[in-house]
This record gives sequence, C-alpha cells and structure tokens, in this order.
Amino acid sequence: MFLSEITAGAKIREEEMIVCVAVVGHQNNPLYIQSFTDADDALKLHHIVHCSLDVVDERVNNPKKSGPTLNETFLGLLYPTENYKVYGYLTNTKVKFILVTTDLDVRDGDVRNFFRRFHAAYVDAVSNPFHVPGKKITSRTFADRVSTIVQSFGLSSAV
Amino acid sequence: MADPASTPLGKMLLEEITPVVMVLCTPYVEESCLKNGLSLIQLLSPFCDFTNIDVPVRTASDQPYRLRKFKLRLFYSSDIRQPNLEVAKERLKKVITHVGEKNFVESSDPSQVNNLLSRPESEMLPSWFQFFNKELVRTLSFSDHEAFDHPVACLLVVSSKDDEPVNRFVDLFNTNKLPSLLNDGAMDPKIMKHYLLLHDNQDGPFNKATKLLADMRNAFGQNDCQIICFNSSQDGKIHHQDNPWASFKSDALPTENLGCFLNLDDLNEIKDFMQELSSKHIIPYMEQKIRVLNQQVSATRKGFRNQIKNLWWRKGKEDTIDTPNGPVYTFNSIESQIRILGDYAFMLGDYELALSNYRLISTDYKLDKAWKRYAGVQEMMGLTYFLLDQSRKDAEYCMENAFNTYLNSVAAGIEEVIMRIHRTNLAKSSACDLLWMGIVACNSLKLGSAGRRNATRCGIWWAEMLKTRDQLKEAATVYFRICGEDTLHSAVMLEQASFCYLLSKPPMLHKYGFHLVLSGDHYKKCDQIKHAIRTYRSAIPVYKGTTWSLIKDHVHFHIGQWYALLGMYDVAVTHMLEVLASTHQSKTTQELFLRDFLQIVQKTGKTFEVLKLQLPVINISSLKVIFEDQRTNASAAAASVKESLWRSLEEDMIPSSTARFNWLELQSKIIPRKYKESNICVAGEALKVDIEFKNPLQIPISVSSVSLMCELSANPEEDANSLNNEVQNNEDRTSTSYGYVFFYSCVLHDDCRDINSCLILSEVDFSLEGGETTVVQLTVTPRIEGILKIVGVKWKLSSAVVGLCNFEFNPVNKRVVRGRRKQHSPSSDLKFLVIKSLPRLEGFIHSLPEKTYAGDLRPLVLELSNQSKFPVKNLKMKISNPRFLYAGNQKELNADFPACLKKKMNVEKSGSHANVNKTLQNLFHFPEDISVQEETSLSWPLWFHAAVRGNIPLYITIYYEMEGVSSIMKYRTLRMHYNLQVLPSLDVSFQLSTRPSRSQEFLLRMDVVNKTSSECFQVHQLSSVGQQWEISLLQPVDSILPSQSLFAGQSLSCFFMLKHSPVDLIILKISLQDRRRSSTSEDSIPSLSHIQSDVRLGPQDNSEAFFDVSSSPLADFHDCERSSQGMSSQVVIFLPLRSSPSSMSPISWLVDGPRTIQHNFSAPLCEVNLKMTITNSSDAIASVHINTFDSPSSNNQPIDDATTSQPPEHQSGWSEIPIVNDTKIITTEALTTRVPKSLSLESVPHYIWSGTSSTKLVLQPRSTAEIPLQICVFTPGIYDLSNYVLNWILTPVDDGENQGEANKSSGVCQGYPYYLSVLESNFKD
Repeated sequence: MFLSEITAGAKIREEEMIVCVAVVGHQNNPLYIQSFTDADDALKLHHIVHCSLDVVDERVNNPKKSGPTLNETFLGLLYPTENYKVYGYLTNTKVKFILVTTDLDVRDGDVRNFFRRFHAAYVDAVSNPFHVPGKKITSRTFADRVSTIVQSFGLSSAV
Repeated sequence: MADPASTPLGKMLLEEITPVVMVLCTPYVEESCLKNGLSLIQLLSPFCDFTNIDVPVRTASDQPYRLRKFKLRLFYSSDIRQPNLEVAKERLKKVITHVGEKNFVESSDPSQVNNLLSRPESEMLPSWFQFFNKELVRTLSFSDHEAFDHPVACLLVVSSKDDEPVNRFVDLFNTNKLPSLLNDGAMDPKIMKHYLLLHDNQDGPFNKATKLLADMRNAFGQNDCQIICFNSSQDGKIHHQDNPWASFKSDALPTENLGCFLNLDDLNEIKDFMQELSSKHIIPYMEQKIRVLNQQVSATRKGFRNQIKNLWWRKGKEDTIDTPNGPVYTFNSIESQIRILGDYAFMLGDYELALSNYRLISTDYKLDKAWKRYAGVQEMMGLTYFLLDQSRKDAEYCMENAFNTYLNSVAAGIEEVIMRIHRTNLAKSSACDLLWMGIVACNSLKLGSAGRRNATRCGIWWAEMLKTRDQLKEAATVYFRICGEDTLHSAVMLEQASFCYLLSKPPMLHKYGFHLVLSGDHYKKCDQIKHAIRTYRSAIPVYKGTTWSLIKDHVHFHIGQWYALLGMYDVAVTHMLEVLASTHQSKTTQELFLRDFLQIVQKTGKTFEVLKLQLPVINISSLKVIFEDQRTNASAAAASVKESLWRSLEEDMIPSSTARFNWLELQSKIIPRKYKESNICVAGEALKVDIEFKNPLQIPISVSSVSLMCELSANPEEDANSLNNEVQNNEDRTSTSYGYVFFYSCVLHDDCRDINSCLILSEVDFSLEGGETTVVQLTVTPRIEGILKIVGVKWKLSSAVVGLCNFEFNPVNKRVVRGRRKQHSPSSDLKFLVIKSLPRLEGFIHSLPEKTYAGDLRPLVLELSNQSKFPVKNLKMKISNPRFLYAGNQKELNADFPACLKKKMNVEKSGSHANVNKTLQNLFHFPEDISVQEETSLSWPLWFHAAVRGNIPLYITIYYEMEGVSSIMKYRTLRMHYNLQVLPSLDVSFQLSTRPSRSQEFLLRMDVVNKTSSECFQVHQLSSVGQQWEISLLQPVDSILPSQSLFAGQSLSCFFMLKHSPVDLIILKISLQDRRRSSTSEDSIPSLSHIQSDVRLGPQDNSEAFFDVSSSPLADFHDCERSSQGMSSQVVIFLPLRSSPSSMSPISWLVDGPRTIQHNFSAPLCEVNLKMTITNSSDAIASVHINTFDSPSSNNQPIDDATTSQPPEHQSGWSEIPIVNDTKIITTEALTTRVPKSLSLESVPHYIWSGTSSTKLVLQPRSTAEIPLQICVFTPGIYDLSNYVLNWILTPVDDGENQGEANKSSGVCQGYPYYLSVLESNFKD
C-alpha cells in the first residue's frame, strides 16, 4: 500500500531528487501539483503536501519575533518525514509553494534559489490574461518551465 | 498545572506501578469463590484500592509522611511471568475488535469541521484509547529489568475444607511452582508471606475454622495468619446495588449476579482484611526494606570514596561481560538493590528518594552498557520527574532518552552480535556465514520486538506526559514514532496521533485527516474494517469542501469498498456516488470507479434511487419549459422565438388592446386568484421540457429511461372550497356568486396506481461519449384537469441506478421560456393549471421554399387542420413581413400559375386592388363564413414574393376562437415560424435622363446583372406602373442580347424611351421569370392596351401575353414595396425610382422661354423674359436659392457637360452597379446634349440678369413653382444662359413617414445651357 513507506520507513532510496512541487492557493486549494517520480504515488504526495499546509499555517500565525523574518517568504523545512523533506515558501498573496524532496541533505541556498525561480515562473503564469485567479494552473508553458527548474535543482550551486 | 497525580498519566501510574501481591490458593478456595461467579482475585480486587488510607510512612528520612492513596495488585503465581507475546497480541486484537464493533454502531459523523471542534474534548476523544493503552502496557509487565512488578508479598490462601490446611500452606509455597522470576535469581525468593484461611459458611460451622486458625498461628506466627468467613448468605439471592466487581470482570454477562452469596458482613470482613494486610503488613514491610536497602546503598555507593571505587571497578570489568542485554544482575547485586530501592520508594510515594536512586543506578547501567536496564531507569526517572512536577525538560529528556535507548538497544544488540560473528567466523565458509546470519536475524528480531514493545510503553507514557502539558503536537509525533511493525498497534497509535492534532491549539486539521487516513489504512491491513471505515469517515469532514479531489476520491472510494465488504451496500453506494463524477481522474480510474459502483449497486439487488446522482451532470440552468396555453406553436422553431416578438405581432389581433393580461382579467371571476399567475396548459397537449445532460467523464456512459417526474393533483382550491367555502374566499367574496369552474376531481399522488392513465410521460434513451453534452427534450401530457407540477427528472444510469434531480434545486438559474414577465416564485413556473381539452389548430404552409432567389413570386397553400371535436371560427392571420407573404383570395387556390398573372382582356383593372388596405395593415381577416370544422382542414392560398435578399425570418400568427368549450380560454393563436434564405438574383438599376429641351420625354437606361452563381434567367417584360406612361424600346432586344437569357454574371443594358409627364413618381417594373417556369405557360391573347406601358424583353416572336402588373398579387406586392420605400435599394422586380425630369437631384428645373428673338438694337436694351419651373420631387420641403451672376469670369468653374449629370451630395434612386461604372461616362455623354465647346466659348457676348440677382423660395414636397427671370441683351448673338446656380436644401417633413430620408440634404446645381439667339430686326422695321 502507498502509505506503508511513510510509517514503516522502508528504505527505498530513490535517486535523490525533487519528487513533487505544488502551488497551493490562499484558501489552501491546490492550484498545481506535479510529481516527478515514475511510481504511482500521486496520492501519497498529495497527502504530504496537504499535511504540510498545517505547518505553513503554523509558521504564518506564529512568526518568529525578529524583524528580518517578517517579510521572509522562504519558510524553510516544514515537515521532515522519514523519506522526504518538505520545504515551503509563501508569497505575498498567501500562495504557498511546496517542495518535496528525497534529498535528505539539501542546502538551504539551493532551496531558496529554487523557490525564487519557481516564484518567477508562477508570476508569469498567472499574469496570463487567460488565467482565472484561484483556478488551477493549466498552462503548458508553466509546466515545462517548472520541470526545467526541477531538473536544474542543485546544479546551479555546484557550478 | 494541577497535581500531577490527578492527571490521566498520574492516575495511570498510581494504578499501574503499585506493589504486587502474589496469590497462592488451593482448588477448594477457588471452588468456594466461584459460587459467586468470581475467582479469588476477582473477589478481592475491589478491595485492594485504597483511596483514603491515610497511613503514616517513614522511609529513608526520619520525617514520616502520610500516604493517602495506595493500591495492591494481586496476581496468581502462575501469572507472574512475562506474558506470552502471541496471547497478548491476541488479547489486544480482541480488545480492538470489540471496540470496533461497539463504536461502529454508535458512530455518528460530524459533517463539518466546525462541528467536529465544537464538541467537548472528552466527547471527541474515544475513551477506549486509555483502556487499550493500559492493556498494551500490561503486556510488558513482569519484565526482569524493572522491579515494580516483582511481588512484594505472597498471600497464601487455604480453604477450611482442605485436609490438613497447615500442610497445604507449606505445599503451596513450593519452589517448583513459583514463578521463574523468583527462581532464576532475578528477585529475592525470601518475600513476606501472609496466611489466610478461607471459610465457606455453607460448608459447616465456624468452630472448626477457628480451631484451624489456632493451629496456623502456632505454625506460622501470630500476626501473619488470618481467617475470613464468607458465603454467609444461604439462598444466594443477594443483589449488590453498586456492584464492585463489575469493572474487574469485563466479560460478565449482565444476567450474572456477581457475589450472590456475599452479604454485607462478608464484604466488610474482606475489606477489613485487605486494609489490614496493606497497612499493617505490606507497607511496614516495604518501609523496612527501603530503610535496610538505603543503608546498604549508602554504605557501598554513597560518598566520594565509594564513587571512585565504583568507577574504577566498572572500568575493570568492562571487557568480561559481553551479552546483548548487558550484564546479568541477580537480586543481590548492588545494582538490582538500588533499583528495588528506587521502585519501592516510588511505590510508596517517596519520589525524591526514588529519583536519587534512579540517578545513581542509571550511570552504572550506562557504563555497563546494559541498555535495556538503562532505558528502564531513564523511563522511571522521567516519570518521577513528572510526578514531582519538576523540571519538565528533564522529564522529557529522560523519556526521549529511554525511548531511543530502547530502540537502540535493539540496534546495539544486533551490532554486537554481528561484531562477534565477524570476529569468530572470518575463516569459516560462506554456508556457515549464512547459517549464522539466519540465527542473528532471528535473535535480533526477537530482541527487536521486545525492545520495540518496551519503547511503545515508554512512548505511551511519554505522549501522555506531553498531552498533560498541552504539548499535543509533540505527543502526536511521539505516537507517530511508536508505530512499529505491528500494524494493528500502529493503527491505534496513528489514530491517537490524529486526535492530538485535532485537539492541539490551533487544530491542525490537515494532519488530523492525514493521520486518520493512515490509521484507517493500517486498520484495513489488519482486517479491522470497521475501524478503518470509522477513521476514514472521521477524515471526511477535513476534506469536504476542499478541492483536494484526489484525496477525497480515495477516501470515499475506499469507504464505499469497505462497506461493500461488510455487506452494507446501501451506505457503500452513497459513498461511491461521491467519486462517480470525478473528472480529474484518469480514464482507468474512472472506469474502476464506475465498475465498482455498478457492482455494488447490483449486489444490493434493488434499483437505487439517488437524489444527487452526478452522472450525467444536469445543467439546471439550461432547463427550458415550452408549454402552450392560448398560444400554440406550429413547430419547434416557433417555440424558440422570443415572446416579445409574438406579442408585438399579435397586439392588435387578440381581443383587447391591453393584450397581455386582459384575458385573465376578464376571467378573474372564474379562475381562482391564486392561479391567475400560474401557467395554464391544456389537457391532452404535451408540455415540452428541454434539459441538457453532460457526461463529465472520459468514458462513455449509457443513460436510459429519461423521463420527467410530475405530480398531477386535483385543484386544491376546489377541495378547500368544499371544506370551508367562507374562509377560503373571504377576500374573493364576489367570485363565489359566479361559481367555480368544475374540475373533475381526481387526487393523484406519486404512488397513485393509475397515474399512467392521467399523465403520459415520454422516455428517452441515449448514450454519451466522454465529455459529450446533449440536449434532451422530454414531454409530459396531462390527460385530465388539475394542477400539474413538474417536480424533476429521473433517469437510469447503465440500467442499474435511478438518478433523480429535483428542479427546485437551484431556482435562481431557472429560465422558463414562456414565463410571464412578472416575477414570481420559481415553483409556480413549473406549476400548471391543466384545463379541459380545447381545439388546437395545426398549421402548415405547403411548399414554402427554404432557399430561393430574390424576386421569386409564387403561390403557396396554407393548410389549417383541426383535430378536435369542436369547430373554430373567426380566423385572423397576421404576417410579420407582408413584403414576402400575403393572403390571397380563396378562388385563387386552384388558379393556374403563372398563367393567372397574365393580362386578360376582360379584366377590370381598377377592381383588383381589393386587398390593398388589408395587406398594408398586415392583418388578414378570413371571411366571416370561414370556419374550420371538427376534424377537417382548411386550405388557403398565399402569395409569396422574395422581396429582399438575405436570411429572412417569417412569423405568422393565426388567431381563432372557439365557442362554448372553455370559459377560461376563448381564443387561441397559432404561431408559425419559417426561415428563408433569399439569394441574390438580378440586380437592376435605372438611370433616367431628360431629353434636352423636352421635359416630357426621358431616356431610361436599365442595367441588369445576373448575380447568381449558376442560374440562368430570361428577362421577359418591363412595365411601367401608372397608365400615363408610355414606354418603348430604343433598339430591339435581340440586338442587345441575342441569346435571350442572362447567364450567371452576365449583364445587360437597355435603353427605353419614356413619354408623358405628370409630376409624380415613376415606378418601373420588370417582371422576371425563371425560364424554367415561364416555359410552361402559353397564352395567346395579345395585349391591346391603349398606351404601350409594357415592353417585351423576351424573344420577339413570342406571342405570350404580358404579365398584368396591375393585377392582384403583383400590384399588392408593389404597394408593399412602395410603402417600404427607402428600406431597400436592391429590389429586383420592383425598383422604385424617384426621379425628376432633368436630373437625379430632388430639385429639377426647366428654363422656358423664347429661343429666338428678333430685336431692333436701335433701342439699346433688349429684355427677354424667361420662366423657370422648379420642381421638388422629394418628400421633403425644399428651400431653393437661385443665384444669377452676370460675368462669366466670376464663375470660374468650367461649364462642363457632365456637371448636370454629376451627382450632387445626395442621390437617391440610383443603385450603384460597379460593373457598369465604366460605361457610365459614355451614357451620360450620349444622353446630354452635345454642345460643341468651341461654340459656347466663342459666343459669350455680354448679357446681364435683370431683376433680382438672388431668389429664394420654399417648395412644399412634390410641388412646382414658377419663377420669372429676365435678362438684358445688348447686342445680337447667341447666348448661353447658364450663368446661374441653384442651391437647394431639403428639410425632411416631421411626420415620420419618411424615415429613410431623415437626413437633411442639400446640393448645388449649375445652370444648364439654354441657348438664346437674338437677331437684329432692323430690316423688318
């Protein structure tokens, strides 16, 4: 079953990579979820993304006291499960970006960089006059761009 | 925080970590106890819990303190061992299953997340978790690494029935039967013993027992022996109100009367005994033991010297002991003694002492790498910290440490084994390796599971501790970490975790849902389907209303499947319904969903009626109801026409001018007021409802038996009336005198068995491909009068499930086509008053072409048929577009066409305009005597003429009345609607030019172009309307058009001469006939009219008669065209030309005067009087301004020949034909006078205009004025009198008749040449 891996901590170490990225609207409605695995684990990833929203809410509602973090969009590591790490990012319009990766030691800079590029792609996608705000993002260009960003994840810092 | 002891964890600890008393008894004892339905321990257990004992205790310190709460745990010696793993598991499983059964039945689903949270916490959290946790903890009791489960005392019980009780006591404490704990050296076998003699009063007198007691006292000591007499009640009828054993015998049947032989004295005796045992024996014993142990520990371990020694000693023995569990400690090792000291202190509530000892021992165990013991001590430290309510951080740290150590001890053990394998077996063969590995794996598994279980217990306590401190999120994490390989336990832990998330502040609902789903999944794996369903169902509110459809579908689909497994198909279906219309799923998933759904439905064995079936999707906003009251439609096309259009068409036809509600107002006395605004339909006539169905899936679905759901009931007004006439109609009092319409009363409801005879419902079957949308028309035909209500629609999906859809669902979007304009409730839109069957005319126009060419003229037949039993009369017809269609005479019905249009000698021309007035008003009255009798039909001729090209809608309304049938409806209208496509045929344009100096003769140029793509036309005839005009060809047609027919794209120009000149409109008419049709007619009567107003354009040798343009249909259509002048400039047959004799401008003039004058120039001045006749041929008032100027040089504009024919700003009547543009110049040249330029230039002698140089006048529409002009000539010569300019401005008349010319127009015209010869006349004088 799909869920067993989460709890039993099965040691299926896939190639360390991003397995899922998601855009979640300000009402916690999914706008875009794309998994990058071959396995049929869409449901599992949906669950993980859905779950991490709780942590996003928590972070938003109890911000750290210090000043600089007030406008910080990057939420950091949200939800370490045994196999995955979930990172979050919150835009000014309360749209959340979620990144699920199997890479267990990710550099913060990489993730920040990823989210910055992802955000740019998202802004371009919703600037499309044919995009209905609050509806799912169906743009093919956006999907292509996201997969490019995902593929280049971690490479940029290595250079 | 409250007192730690009163928290759930505190209570649990005080219950679970208490002194254990080992019970040894003889079979007779058990036998006596079982009379009450209880075992000995069950009998005693209720009295072991002392909540208010208040015993002074003095442990290590000198200061005594009072112990309030105390509890003893009693166990048979056989139970004092580590429980069998399988048995324990089985028991836990039973517990869960039991709970599952119980909760499943009483579970009620909160539908909303908010509801979920609004309930009190205690209600939210299932109580069985506590119970389960306790059971789980108990499976780990009597472990050798902790001392609190080790028996503190031993209770030996012998019945007075036993032979030689004293010997029995000795036998009982036989080492062979004692638990392994005591035998294998894990604990001190020398424990406190207490001897109890049990006397059953039913077995005999008390005396014998007392004697036995004396023997016992002699043998075992005075204080340690006691006697209890019980079963004093003889009849066993004692019923205990507040049954103390209930909680200790969970599997007792409710009928079982526990303790039936025990009377109050017996109970008191037992109670006293237990209290004495604990307060006088066990507690003092423990106190003493603590003191002794403490002294020992102090001596060996306390103080700096001892510590150093200890450290050194431990270092020394490090390498010697090498087992996975660390070193083996016997009861008399100092480590075990410290542990016992700590546990005893803990049990007696001296937590400080316990803590200090735990601390002491934990470092030792750590150094010894006795991980399990170390973890156990850490665990206890954590709990002690908690109970002391000190340093939360320390408590948590200890718990976490313990938890991790338990888990790691497994790993550490495995690691060590592997190390050893490596050390010893490097040289061995690989086969040996494998064997070893197998053994190692087995070992580690066993160890692992034990360690895991210990970790589980530790985790439960840890989580409880966090929960007590409101750290629910952390508690949830702990629960999550507890999850191990035991799926069932994991499931329970996950469920507990989910509740932690729910109860945390703020609630973390996403995680709550997720953990519930996880938990359900685990339950399912252990076949705990009911639990699985319960957890999944609890998760539903979390996902409800969100767009996380993948998750939602998963949850619903599995609930559905699981319910189906349980055989609860009804519920299963409701859940499966949720996933049916999952558009986002892949095709295979959709197929799976649908297939499973249908399977489940099949298993239910009945056809399901589902109110909210999402498959197919019904677009309620597309709902369209078409019904006929007094307005009936001949075709579906007519029904789709806007009501306002019909209304305006029918306005002056239906009885009153205030058309809309009038018929209702008239009958308001008859129809109950309530129904004035409801719709009316007629029995026997079908109501049509259009609904749109959409398949949201990618897979095809089949839908069958789609039909409307309707209710037909008798008029409730009538029923109420019969019951309470007065009250009902208070406000309507006047109406009662008129009485009500009598309805045949037939109360019908849904379940009425003869509903079929009253309603006829159509059924439609169709199948939808993936994503397809279709509009279905459903009909319902009421057979009897009453109130008909369209409730909804139902259909059958895959012939298994019946879907219902109520139309009231979303009333806002509903659109009723025929709804009155007034706003009324949507329910009344679907409510109809069915009235008695009425005649209804069917109308049809035969052979009306769909596509035709402009100018086509043909007769048609309108057929009206009456299927009913009643005649209708007083027919009227109105046609929206009389230019296209008008009613003919009945006698024309069988006339030969087109021969009937030809001129006949004996026809009175003036008499044929009878219809003009009628057609102009668009309203045609059928003759009074015409009526459509029952079951007959009426045919009536119509004339059709395609006047304008384009797509032309034709609306025809036929009004008819029926008498004596219904008082509600006196008349009806039949609406017909046709759409025509009129293609261009011939383009005809005319240009009219005056002949120079003859204003009564005109040259007419006609250009004809065949605009069709393939058709070939033959031009027959050109006629002028109005008999004053004579028209003749300038050259024979044969020379222009030898082929005699006009092929596609071909053009033709002809010139005609027109004579006569009343100042009036000239209407030119060309009759065109398609060659194919005209060839059929042969008529040889020659035209003999006085004036030649027709010109034959066809073959000259044809002796056919001319078409009579003044006869009925042609003249009528001509009138129509006239009345709609200006609307079109592209009329083919009838081309209206507004023309004046001289030019195309609305203002024309003619300068008249002498052409030659002889004058004696001895008198220097020669005055010539001229007359200018100005004609305004337009419908507007013209103001004309004539400017004359004397000097030709002042007019710099060259006096061009073309100026006169150059159009001014506005030109009407000329239809532009680009094709002939190039020939235009030629024609204008041909038509105007050819004045040699040289002449005009050379002979410009001087003359001056005398009289006014500027004249202004206003001309009424279509009027003529004369202006005198005068010039003075000084020398003889030829003069061109064109030195003047006419300025004209047209002001439209404001009577609204000339909408087409509403624009103000103006123009400037140069004077045209007028040559005057002045001769010298000297000689004549």
